[in-house]
Amino acid sequence: MISDELKTVILSALKLDDWEFTDSTVAAEVPGWDSLSHMNVVVAVEKHFGLRFRSAEVLRLMNVGDLQRLVNAKLAKPQ
Amino acid sequence: MGTDVYSNDGIEQINMSDIRFSEDTIWHRWCENAEKSPDSVAIVHWKAGETPFCWTWGELMRTAQLYSAALTSRGINRGDVCAIIARHNCLLYPVYMGCVCAGAIPAILAYQNPRLHPDKFREGLEGMGKRSGLDWILTERALEGVLQPLLGTGRSTIKGLQFPFENNDYVEGVETQVPNGTVPTIRDSDPLLLQHSSGTTGLQKPVLLSHHAVLDHVTQYAKFLAVSKADKIVSWLPLYHDMGLIAAFHMPLALGIPTIQIDPFEWVLAPSLLLEAMSLERATMTWLPNFAFSMMADKIHEEDLDGVALDSCRMIISCSEPVRSRDQEKFFRRFAPRGFKREALSSCYAMAETTFAVTQTPPGREPATLTIDPQELAKGRAIPVAAPGVGKVCVSSGELIPACRIRIVDGDFNDVGEGRVGEVLIKTPWMFDGYRNYPEKTAAAILDGWYLSGDYGFQCGSEFYIIGRKKDVVIVAGNNIYPEDVEAALNDLNGVIPGRVVAFGEEDVELGSERISVVVETPLTDESQRRQLRMAIVKAGMGIDVSITDVYLVQPRFLVKSSAGKPSRTANKERVLRMKESSMTLQPEGIQDDLRRVKNSDSECAEA
Repeated sequence: MISDELKTVILSALKLDDWEFTDSTVAAEVPGWDSLSHMNVVVAVEKHFGLRFRSAEVLRLMNVGDLQRLVNAKLAKPQ
Repeated sequence: MGTDVYSNDGIEQINMSDIRFSEDTIWHRWCENAEKSPDSVAIVHWKAGETPFCWTWGELMRTAQLYSAALTSRGINRGDVCAIIARHNCLLYPVYMGCVCAGAIPAILAYQNPRLHPDKFREGLEGMGKRSGLDWILTERALEGVLQPLLGTGRSTIKGLQFPFENNDYVEGVETQVPNGTVPTIRDSDPLLLQHSSGTTGLQKPVLLSHHAVLDHVTQYAKFLAVSKADKIVSWLPLYHDMGLIAAFHMPLALGIPTIQIDPFEWVLAPSLLLEAMSLERATMTWLPNFAFSMMADKIHEEDLDGVALDSCRMIISCSEPVRSRDQEKFFRRFAPRGFKREALSSCYAMAETTFAVTQTPPGREPATLTIDPQELAKGRAIPVAAPGVGKVCVSSGELIPACRIRIVDGDFNDVGEGRVGEVLIKTPWMFDGYRNYPEKTAAAILDGWYLSGDYGFQCGSEFYIIGRKKDVVIVAGNNIYPEDVEAALNDLNGVIPGRVVAFGEEDVELGSERISVVVETPLTDESQRRQLRMAIVKAGMGIDVSITDVYLVQPRFLVKSSAGKPSRTANKERVLRMKESSMTLQPEGIQDDLRRVKNSDSECAEA
């Protein structure tokens, strides 16, 4: 399940008013989420949650559910 | 793939299918390279998290031969145009080269973007096919369902789909043939490849290039760049783009030096891959659009650069979009501690119609810059400012590559002289002969043997500065977007006043490129309906594979018209940007909410 917090960060990075995110939502379905803005989303999530993602981790993200799980896992571990 | 299937016999096994090639063709050059150094690396196919796949010259050419024979046995004839649509795949290279060996004309096209509706993707190919005369599509099985409807409709020139990338069935049982005395010979003037000038939908202009054009160009360009056998080229650029295809693929293959090919989709998600590959392979050269300098300087974490050293890099060449001084400087400052040398910064001016490069910074020094008085520049005069820090910094695209010529002209095609801004006209020995099956576009693009680039620039000494476009084309991360395509996609949306839409590019400092903005007249006043309209506009952009970043909804009769009676892109862009920068209290009703929203978004991003 996608948290409201993550959803808000993504919407802000994409300059969107609203969008319904599920675990299986992929970037291509979301208006404005293209390969160039993907990095902005990743950086916005990192900044908001105070995290760092490695390139390999970013490459493995297939959908928003993966992003949520990565955030959760990182938050659970001391950085 | 590769060694487990294809025999490792000597290079003498290489045959020429059933076609002969004269000595001054690309194929002949490849054969020479393979004969001289069969065990040398030709292409390193780079995939994140995997061991890179290396094609030696011997194996690459044997495989290309097999593909050539397989293509021929499946009905592909000399002169057939073969569109190649595939993701990053190590078989892409021998399939492409196999097309050349078969005398067919390969044309690498972009893979279907998942954001693009299959109907739109097909329409684009159909539109492209009308001009390019696409005969075959060589692609992946994954696209079969999407592409199959193109066949047998009577609207398309496409004869069939072929799937050479899936497994070894495609080449199994195929035998190469020894040419006999009666087969036709391919000469240097014969077509080698088809590339498309960039653009949206099916309106890309097909540029046919001969063996001579490509071989002579890369030879001259390499000489100017002082390329030697010690060089290695690394690239994440897509091969459907001239920068990727000519500079980072054809040039190294023609010269017999290695090229390292990275998946463009992986690079944009993980830009550190380029630097990692450069460091591990000790690569010396790469080409990038400007936004990539900015992106790598800003977005790569130090943790992703463990052990990365960039001291091997002797040239990193900015091309395909305006070169921005601040982004080059940012890149240098970020990576200098890893051995990156200032003199490795470079720039180039290039286009598909001239095969590739026209001007280039000489090796061993960074691009020249001039700080120009912006008010004088607006009048067409490039006058350096007396006091630094107050002018517009223009970055040179370098000096003429030998045998290339440039004229800077006014609207009557009179030369304007040094330090004066005008349209850039180009003449080179390796220019295209015209857009394929597009006589009206060809006539509009060539005047007395000079190619009308549509770019504005000026000359200062031996340096050329490209500062803008005559047309309204927007360059987003190296891709040309035509505003008229975006406007057409929005015209029929509910809530949009037909014909009252303007699209333009806005400078995106963070991205180091431009972004697409639209101003749309609407009678809607209800905020909920306006939100829906904004979403519909962004989605309509997705439908043509264009990301619309900023949407300005304005009241009816807001847009300024040109003398032709159409909304003026330039005037409305200037008006909107002026309004964004000025006090909100002075704004006309209708645009306030949207401008406020943009300002809020910007500040949110900055604070995030």
